[in-house]
Amino acid sequence: MIELFNVSVKIDNRPVLNDISLQITKGEFVYLIGKTGAGKTTLMRLIYMDLFPGKGNVIVDRHSSSTIRRKEIPFLRRKVGVVFQDFKLLPDRTVFDNVAFALQVIGSPKRTIRARALSVLTRVGLNHKRYQMPHHLSGGEQQRAAIARALVNEPFILLADEPTGNLDPQVSTEILALLESINRSGTAVLMATHNYGLIRQFPHRTLLVENGKITAGEAPYSKT
Amino acid sequence: MKLLFLLKEGFAGFRRARLAVTIALATITLSLALLGLFGLVAQNLSDSFQRVFYQIRLEVFVDPSLSESDFQTLKSEIERIEAVQSAEYISPGAALQEFEKDFGKDLVAVLESNPLPPSFRVLLKTGHSRPEAIQAVVRRIEALKAVDEVVYPENLIRLLDKYFLLGILIAVGLGTAIFAISTLLIFNTIRLAIHSRQRVIEIMRLVGATDAFIKAPFIFEGILQGLIGGLLAAGLLWLAGDLVRYLFLPGLSVPWLYLAGLVAVGVLLGCIGSYLSVGKYLNA
Repeated sequence: MIELFNVSVKIDNRPVLNDISLQITKGEFVYLIGKTGAGKTTLMRLIYMDLFPGKGNVIVDRHSSSTIRRKEIPFLRRKVGVVFQDFKLLPDRTVFDNVAFALQVIGSPKRTIRARALSVLTRVGLNHKRYQMPHHLSGGEQQRAAIARALVNEPFILLADEPTGNLDPQVSTEILALLESINRSGTAVLMATHNYGLIRQFPHRTLLVENGKITAGEAPYSKT
Repeated sequence: MKLLFLLKEGFAGFRRARLAVTIALATITLSLALLGLFGLVAQNLSDSFQRVFYQIRLEVFVDPSLSESDFQTLKSEIERIEAVQSAEYISPGAALQEFEKDFGKDLVAVLESNPLPPSFRVLLKTGHSRPEAIQAVVRRIEALKAVDEVVYPENLIRLLDKYFLLGILIAVGLGTAIFAISTLLIFNTIRLAIHSRQRVIEIMRLVGATDAFIKAPFIFEGILQGLIGGLLAAGLLWLAGDLVRYLFLPGLSVPWLYLAGLVAVGVLLGCIGSYLSVGKYLNA
């Protein structure tokens, strides 16, 4: 489903990833760990093709980074959900509108938008707050709204770039439980995190990004 | 659904980025008003210039003792000159009427007789406006029997002729500079207005909106800003024109077509400005 073959990436002439190969299969849950600036976000950008490798090839659901045309990228992104540490919600729209926006901008019919937005908001436990503005929500609720927006297109993979980075431990656990449930329903999850306690609490395959390489990793016990 | 959403987003942009859009509108209005003002001044000056310069008018005074048939013969002789378009006979009576109309004085009452001689008002064809060409015609008319004197604004024509090219160069240079400054100002404010909503663009890209779908509401918004700015600028110029006409220059013209052109320029700049700006974010 997602494969990286001998991928190297330089950003501003600085090598970030060096000759890495990787495979993420359908429905898998994978953690990405490593120091800040190690290349976790770069790896995610390669997957939603916001960035292209200098060498090697990235395959995402039959789209290849070597051959994909610019106008095909939006169609790839409709199959890949992305959430960030800072939520990236639109502050001038309600939770419902934020979620619906992801369907509106791809030209979905109005009836479909309403049904799917309500369904996904129920799934993340935020239906009762659908008419609230993002700044009226707690951090955890904002991340739920961001997850709902990422899920509303029914992607095959959810990329979560440090989704609990701004949240307290209790809420972080709740968000991870939500990601687990999403994963159980068949959506693959690739999550970058520094929160090793969460990895131990919800163990899955873990990859370590270090010195431009990716190796099988393990959450160190020195940090929580 | 798609079109409705795009239009709704375009209008909503006004509400969501109120400050940026207000600044953009004010800048567009002032830039277009400046551009329009320059165009109006240039056009009115050019009109006045053309009145004097492009179709030269000569006053040909003739011997008052000529008979009616002599006048007809002289008129034909003048009109036979290649550069002459027409020669209109002005009788002393008609000349007196014109004088009284222009100066409001009753000459006959003062002098007890009409001192004005008969004359021909000779209009040269366009293109015969260089001082040498006029001189050649004047010499030919003066050579005709019964012509006393040929009068025209010789000094003014020599002056205009001398500075004609320089004037055009200055006007074109100034016009280009004002247009460039207005365009840059408009493009820059639209870019800032779009910059204030780059998160929307970022999210649209992230969730898989096509480039065309991302661009459309911003371009629509740019067109709307250009249209409103253009209408406001046209309104300002129209009001200013009315005021100047009333206070100083009754002959000032502010043509509707010109104002419509200004609105069209606003729409065009709004459209191109937003297209380029949003394109920049998409290519980033």
